[in-house]
Amino acid sequence: MTSALLTVRGVSRTFGSGPAAVHALSDVSFEVEPGTMVALVGRSGSGKTTLLNVIGGLDRPDSGTVTVDGLEVTGLDEDGLSQLRRDKVSYVFQTFGLIPVLSAAENVGVPLRLARAEPAERERRVGLLLDLVGLADHAQQRPGELSGGQQQRVAIARALAASPRLLVADEPTGQLDAETGLAVMGLLRGVVESEGVTAVVATHDPVMMALADRVIRISDGRVLT
Amino acid sequence: MIALHWPSVRGRARADAGPLLLVAVVVAVVALLAGATPPVLRATSDEATRDAVRRAADDAAVRVEADWPDDYGPTGGRQRAPLLAQDVASLGHLAQDDLSPELQAALQTPVTTVSSISMAVTDGSVQRRLQLEYLRRGDGGDPRVTWVAGKAPGPSTSDDSIEIPLNGAPWPIHVGVSEAEAAALGVRPGDRIPVQDDRRTPYDVRVSGIFRPVDPGDPAWRLVPWLLQPAANRDGLGSTRFGGLLSDESLPDARLAFRSDQLRRGVRFDADPDKLTWASAQNLADSVATLKGLSAVSAERDTSLKWATQLDSVLRDLRNQIATATPQASVLLLALLAGALLVVSLAADLLTRRRTTALATARQRGAALPALAAELAVESVAVTVPAAAIGLALAAVLTGSASLIWVLPFVVLAIAAGPAFGTLAAARATRDKRAPANRSARRWARRTVRLRRAAIDAAVVLLAVGALVALRQRGIETGLASAAPALGALAVSLLLVRLLPPATGAVLRLSLRSRRSLGLFAAARAAATSSRMLPALAVTTAIALASFAVTLQATTDRGLSDGAWQAVGADARLTVGLEASGSTADIATRVAAAPGVEAAVPARVVESERFIADSTSIVARLIVVDTAAFRRLLAGTPLPGLPAPAGLTAADGDTVPALVRTGDGSLRPGLDFRLPLQTNSAIQMAAIGVAPAIGTGEDVIVVDVAAAKAAGLDWEPDTVWATGSGAAAAIRATGADGRLVTRAEVAEDRRTAPLTEGLVRLYVIAAVTLLALGLLGFALAAAAGAPERWETLARLRTLGLRPRDTHRVAAGELLPVAVVAAVSGPLLGALLAWLTLGPLALNVLTGQVAVPVTVVPWWTVELVTVGALAAVLLAVVGGESVVRRKRRLGDVLRVSS
Repeated sequence: MTSALLTVRGVSRTFGSGPAAVHALSDVSFEVEPGTMVALVGRSGSGKTTLLNVIGGLDRPDSGTVTVDGLEVTGLDEDGLSQLRRDKVSYVFQTFGLIPVLSAAENVGVPLRLARAEPAERERRVGLLLDLVGLADHAQQRPGELSGGQQQRVAIARALAASPRLLVADEPTGQLDAETGLAVMGLLRGVVESEGVTAVVATHDPVMMALADRVIRISDGRVLT
Repeated sequence: MIALHWPSVRGRARADAGPLLLVAVVVAVVALLAGATPPVLRATSDEATRDAVRRAADDAAVRVEADWPDDYGPTGGRQRAPLLAQDVASLGHLAQDDLSPELQAALQTPVTTVSSISMAVTDGSVQRRLQLEYLRRGDGGDPRVTWVAGKAPGPSTSDDSIEIPLNGAPWPIHVGVSEAEAAALGVRPGDRIPVQDDRRTPYDVRVSGIFRPVDPGDPAWRLVPWLLQPAANRDGLGSTRFGGLLSDESLPDARLAFRSDQLRRGVRFDADPDKLTWASAQNLADSVATLKGLSAVSAERDTSLKWATQLDSVLRDLRNQIATATPQASVLLLALLAGALLVVSLAADLLTRRRTTALATARQRGAALPALAAELAVESVAVTVPAAAIGLALAAVLTGSASLIWVLPFVVLAIAAGPAFGTLAAARATRDKRAPANRSARRWARRTVRLRRAAIDAAVVLLAVGALVALRQRGIETGLASAAPALGALAVSLLLVRLLPPATGAVLRLSLRSRRSLGLFAAARAAATSSRMLPALAVTTAIALASFAVTLQATTDRGLSDGAWQAVGADARLTVGLEASGSTADIATRVAAAPGVEAAVPARVVESERFIADSTSIVARLIVVDTAAFRRLLAGTPLPGLPAPAGLTAADGDTVPALVRTGDGSLRPGLDFRLPLQTNSAIQMAAIGVAPAIGTGEDVIVVDVAAAKAAGLDWEPDTVWATGSGAAAAIRATGADGRLVTRAEVAEDRRTAPLTEGLVRLYVIAAVTLLALGLLGFALAAAAGAPERWETLARLRTLGLRPRDTHRVAAGELLPVAVVAAVSGPLLGALLAWLTLGPLALNVLTGQVAVPVTVVPWWTVELVTVGALAAVLLAVVGGESVVRRKRRLGDVLRVSS
């Protein structure tokens, strides 16, 4: 019985077939301890996003297993994966992915609605998270009225809304300027500590690497360290 | 010089082959319909012309008469003209010379006739009449006969040029009679037929022989059918007319035997429907009018030609019908083109959405906007022009020719749509226009956008209102008026579409209060996409115009049925001859007792009776009937009921109470009027109520038979109205002699009239095509929003949304457009039909007196619309779901990132 929150064992993923086949992941294995922040680094096309997708159940590996909080992701059906994403794994994307017609608070409350949380509990949690990400004063603003950094902070708050065990972030600062990116990275580091969440963050940013507890380098679909 | 990047052109076309093919199909279908409709309308007008002339029969014939020249002899008597037959033949030649080439081409070989007055046969029989006839075809021949007994009529004297005194004894005339008539009259060769005119002057008519026609179907016989068979009611109801055939040799004796005004000579030209077209008929109408203008006055006693025909009036009625049908077709075509153009615009929007990134990239790499526009235009031309050519070629194959008049503007706009949308998208993607930094400037910018939208909306609404006003005030002849329904649908749809964002916003706010997450996501998606105006506009407009076409079809259908009820007055109507009028009441009783008959009422109907009210002459249809029985009969029909004001059956003998209806309101309840009689007296009448519209005219007067009888109007009934499925059969079973008209036959005749049939077909085609365009628009709108929808659904799935719930969210997103179209489309179509039915003058085609009642087949329209939209919605959602299942969530998010 392992104490790791995330276990990746011998995961391979190939896109296409024949001579044109692209081996995005080749026999990737690693473990991540609970409450740690892992930076997944590598060049573009090295397989970072594919690995994150496999970890979060957005994609299925050709071989190998992924276990999150004791649950084997690769063995789940679609409903099981939905439940996983509702309860245990959250995502933060480069492009924020907020619903434009909903306010910041309403966006943050979306996972809680899916989890059928009581309205009062939902409002309390949303207020808490917006406060955590420093956007309590912007709760009623819509994404279009927020800056890129603010939007990403809303996205992080949303990702934390359902109290996930694992936070998967794919280039969360990719569309932000350096200063805003730094603030978002700081926020991520902070929530990992304050919420006890485990985070796997794909990034090119050396600052993020410095903030991470551990750095996993990946190249041509293989884990180097 | 604009440099085109051909690889980009080819690449875009390859990548978007599906949508481009769809545009091509829409263009081809519209080109087919728009290209085929004018030639079909022309062919239908031609057929309607032939049909109208065929149905008009006698009324469409051109007749000419000329009085005889004096035949006084040297001693003051009347001199026999042995070559009179040649003179009569020359009348035919003279008449033909007067005809214009157009008329000559449209008329059949003339038949020259000489007809005597109708004389009473004084053999003791009742109302037997005899009329002498001479027939000669324009080609010189006469209808051939075989003499089965006796011989052909010969001269009465051996002195060809004998002169007889003016007041001498009746001059003998030899005639031939047909076998049937000889048997009916009981005459043989050598017998005399005792006859006298209405002044009791006797004539000496002798039977020289009995003939059998070689060809009873010879058109010449049709002019004087009483030569072959006794003809009923020709000289008044109840009479029977017989004919005596004159020959070249006996014609001069007939001339001597009758006064000049008792023997009429004339030429009849029957119209040849097969030679007529609508175009030639218009020239023909002018020629006929000219001919009648040149005609001598019939009252003048000279030998000049006096022309008479109703052909011009038949053609005038036809012109009214075609003048009604043609703009109706234009209205439907414009509706079709408007719907098609909106759908083509939607397809262009879809293409542009698929290409926005590529176009923006090309622009960022230095491609000039004119070059991009030219590249898109090349593609658009390459798709649209061949598609239009295929549509036109199909139209030409199907109809014999194709018209460009409607197709060209549509094709030009269809070509422009793609490049316009694409170029605009490329310009927007690369323009350096940043949002203002401060809030007031942003608010100002938003207000400017709103103001610009409001200005566009106001312009469209004003244009539609102007078109509707033009239509209602000036009729449908103006170009703008023809576009009124299309513009009206567009304008109201535009206003409705503008309401969508606030409406979906309200639903979203409600959903936020709910605990149901799926409703919230669907409402959020709907609110996010509701600002896209074109999809809802295209679908709602197309559905509204389809409903408009269906409403026209249903209204026409009901109008034809109501018109037939009005024209007949019951399920069947029998008009009996006067000789049988004494038994009309008995016939009605027998019919009423027959199975399948609900009611049968006898009445006296005078079609054009003259009344005087305040020194004004009014011609109306007079119905003398047992009003109580008539009321019961009408109650079982869709016809308006017969009112029962107090005193309607009062039979005091002084004043006859009457129900009245006049189109100009000259007679109304409360007014007194009178019915002049031939005896220089008059019957006083009092209008005490409003009569229902029965018959083809607007003016009707109904009086109770008892009240009429008390006032001295003791007329025998001549009409039987009967209702019930067995009415016609029951009347036939009585064997009564008379004219039977059934409602079903009248309705069928009108329904199968070429113009009506053609227009109804066009209504159906337009409705089906517009519905298909609406559904296609809905599918295109769904396709245009699919990438964004997929991305949102994928994001929601990363938050834990189950795959099966994505269907509901997707359906919820598409639902507002479907609901707006399904609810407001039929309502709007019905409103447009209600507003435009009067100016469209459907009653000209349905044969009704007034504008038909608007009939909206709500259930059909709603069921079809809702069912079809729901089917497309489910197909889109289901299809997308299948496609989405094939793609990993990660792929969708990777692409969207």
